Amino acid sequence: MNPTRDRLRRMVDGLPPRSVRRRLALGWAVVTLVVAAATAPAVGISRDESVYLYAGERYADWWKEVAVHPMQAWSHLDGAYGVNHEHPGLAKLVYGATHALLAPDAAGQHGLTSHLQAFRFGAFLFAALLSVLLALAGHELAGTAGGLLAPALFWLVPRHFFHGHPALLDMPVTALWFATVLSYRRWLSVKPGEPGKTGRSARRFGWGLVTGLAFGAAISVKHNAWFLPPLLLVHFVATHLRRVQRDRLAALAPALPALVVGLGVFVATWPWLWHDSLPRLRDYFQYHLRHENYPWMYLGQMLRDPPFPVAYPFVVTALTVPAAVLAAMVGGLLHAGSRLLVAIRRPERDAGISGSDELLYLLNGLFSIALIALPQVPHFGGVKHWLPSMPFLAVLGARALVSAGRTLWPARAAAVTAVLAIFTLAPALAAVVHIHPFGTAAYNELAGGAAGAASLGMQRQFWGDDMVAALDTINAHALPNARVWYQEATRLATVAYQRDGRLRPDLRWAETAEQADVSVWHHHAEFMDKEFTTWTQFRTAQPVAGVYLDEVPLIEVYARAGAWR
Amino acid sequence: MEIPSPHTGPRPPRLVLPGSAPPPTRREQLEAALHRFLSLLWPPRLRHGAVAFAAAVIGLGAYGLWFWSQLPIRLPSEMDWQAATAFLARSAKPGDAVALSPPWAERARLILPPSLPVMALPRYQGEDLVNVRRIWLLSLPNAPGFDRELDRQLAVRSSGGDRPLELGGLELTRFDLASPLVPRAFLPDQLAAARVTLGDRPCEADAAGVFRCPDAPAGLRIAREVRAVEFLPRPCLFVHLQPQARRPITLRFHDVPLGTKLHGHTAIVGEAMLRGSAPVRLSVKVGDEEIGVAEEPAATPGWHAFQFDTTSAAGQARDVTFTVTSDDPDERPLCFDAMTLP
Repeated sequence: MNPTRDRLRRMVDGLPPRSVRRRLALGWAVVTLVVAAATAPAVGISRDESVYLYAGERYADWWKEVAVHPMQAWSHLDGAYGVNHEHPGLAKLVYGATHALLAPDAAGQHGLTSHLQAFRFGAFLFAALLSVLLALAGHELAGTAGGLLAPALFWLVPRHFFHGHPALLDMPVTALWFATVLSYRRWLSVKPGEPGKTGRSARRFGWGLVTGLAFGAAISVKHNAWFLPPLLLVHFVATHLRRVQRDRLAALAPALPALVVGLGVFVATWPWLWHDSLPRLRDYFQYHLRHENYPWMYLGQMLRDPPFPVAYPFVVTALTVPAAVLAAMVGGLLHAGSRLLVAIRRPERDAGISGSDELLYLLNGLFSIALIALPQVPHFGGVKHWLPSMPFLAVLGARALVSAGRTLWPARAAAVTAVLAIFTLAPALAAVVHIHPFGTAAYNELAGGAAGAASLGMQRQFWGDDMVAALDTINAHALPNARVWYQEATRLATVAYQRDGRLRPDLRWAETAEQADVSVWHHHAEFMDKEFTTWTQFRTAQPVAGVYLDEVPLIEVYARAGAWR
Repeated sequence: MEIPSPHTGPRPPRLVLPGSAPPPTRREQLEAALHRFLSLLWPPRLRHGAVAFAAAVIGLGAYGLWFWSQLPIRLPSEMDWQAATAFLARSAKPGDAVALSPPWAERARLILPPSLPVMALPRYQGEDLVNVRRIWLLSLPNAPGFDRELDRQLAVRSSGGDRPLELGGLELTRFDLASPLVPRAFLPDQLAAARVTLGDRPCEADAAGVFRCPDAPAGLRIAREVRAVEFLPRPCLFVHLQPQARRPITLRFHDVPLGTKLHGHTAIVGEAMLRGSAPVRLSVKVGDEEIGVAEEPAATPGWHAFQFDTTSAAGQARDVTFTVTSDDPDERPLCFDAMTLP
């Protein structure tokens, strides 16, 4: 007995929170916030993020005006919320709010951090929320090891790690989708109370309310969350078949309050809908139902118009998720499938298995991937469009690792699980470290990394964020007042870099190679003509600088003769 | 020397005690072991799944660790690039070009001597390779996804060369082209001296050598440019037809040295290559005689070749005129090249 260790353990045990699962959740939240904040400055501003930063600031300014001059603010509503009204406002408002709290004021004073980092702190909060939920779900399904492994399996996928940083919509909607499903599961797990037993009814009502709030927040972030009600309906009907057969539509009545709460949150957090609501709602849905198909490289083929290859999301997942993590996730899916079969065939023998849970995880783990597989659905943007599937796969993967440890050597289950976890996570960690911050260019060892993927003819990168790695060179070498053609980086992005002092303020914006002294070529096969136009205009095919990942060009900078010092 | 055998006499009979089963023979022992082994495999149990899963995770994890640890070693270092640059600066001659394998290894453009043209083509079969006599194939042989297809294609077209030179993570192989394509005139390079007209009105070249025409929309221009055709750079004469100017555009090149053939290509640039309802017509005259018409089909992406016989004028210097027309001029940016071959 070591008295010091004993005293230390008692001290730690006395610290809040007292349960292991809560400590895991808190620990993961802190780790996520710290790592995201530390690694975010290297991540560039993508096209969509630049728009969300601008929109977020406008929204936050409008809410400040509401607090001071509500009547005046009403007349400015459209001016503020007309910015990027293709997407609802919640995530952007959070980014605007964290910016208002943490960034320097108009005089450049009193800021805790840079403008970009202040916006992104909102994104880190969503990432931390997802970590908390992953730890809780992992713990629930596979104990302490599950709580440790599930967030690690999710975040050590380089593309997921990347998407944890920018102030975008994909990670928030993933976190809120996961939150909705987990709270729906808790709602289902509380059986309806008997008359007179108010505690159970209140708990059920509470989880229904949480489900509604989470769903409302999810649809207030991004439109793909609208698929949640039909997906959960499928689950509910499949797991309550007798009741649905008996009560018909009335069986679904308990879900109505959650739906109403969700819709309430949607409208409340998106002032754009506060007048001309129906036409604007119609425009919103029509925009997403008729979304443009951006050209996209896939196995040497330029995808332009439907029908798109059904295999696309499966192949891209297989080529971007680290191989051992992929194996854990696929193993987790098969494990859940086998447990579901057992629950269906022999419910009396394996009472510990919840067929409802298995089905819920399977449906959500596969749905978003299957949705993008549909040939008419636009195929672009890589894994971020089926990101909501990945937390479920991470939890199932974590449980599969833990179960394998228990099955292979029951007496040394923890040690076996630890060995499996090391083989799963160590190469993934190496990949994250190697690839950061070029997350949109990340490919796994099965693809051969960025180099192998380039040979396979996969999309090199997307939306302009990789330019961040060329900023220092441009600052150092471009002539004073040089006109720069930034191509895939938006004007808003360059303004954001300049605001934080990361891009020289004297550099001017150019729309074409013809106008420019310096041209920043982002390697996209569909925009090759921009590079060759630069060659024509600048009378050279030799770049002056470049950003390369494993020898694969991501960015190449060209300059007119005399425009580069 | 003879080694004595340990067996000094015949093998003794096996001892069998009354009432006991005889000990199993070796064959029976083997059969029992095989049976035990097979019973481990069948029927399938949870343990089998766990073993397969663990094997997959450990196997792929070990491969992942090996892959990421080896990747920097497999790729060329800065010193390798500098060595290749120094070697090429010393060895290259006029008429040399560098080809990249894999074609994405375009860091070479940044590092190699600017006097050396760099080609990053995915194939060399059927490529003209204008004015190139020798090709230095710069390869990254250890890069993931690398293959020798470009080596094979260039070997087919070459009459000789050197053995590959290894420079760390790089490899340089020289191919001497058996039949280099050296045109008597490559017309895109002679645009500055050409007469360009829209209908019958002459167009003027600006300081950058771009021809613009009177009373024509700003988008209408005729220039020598490098444009993307199916993702590849094609130096060409760029003629941007406009719906507001439905008159023929004519480019007349003076005193072009002719050979036996006039060879060229046409393409529509950008997204417009996927659209259109009528072809773009390119009429070619030598002197005042039309020798052929090349048609760039609508909605058919590609670098489409044409070739006309000029044997009757071989050895002479004559005017060559190209006239561009289309019944669907809307967004028809035409890129074409033409050269006279001996």
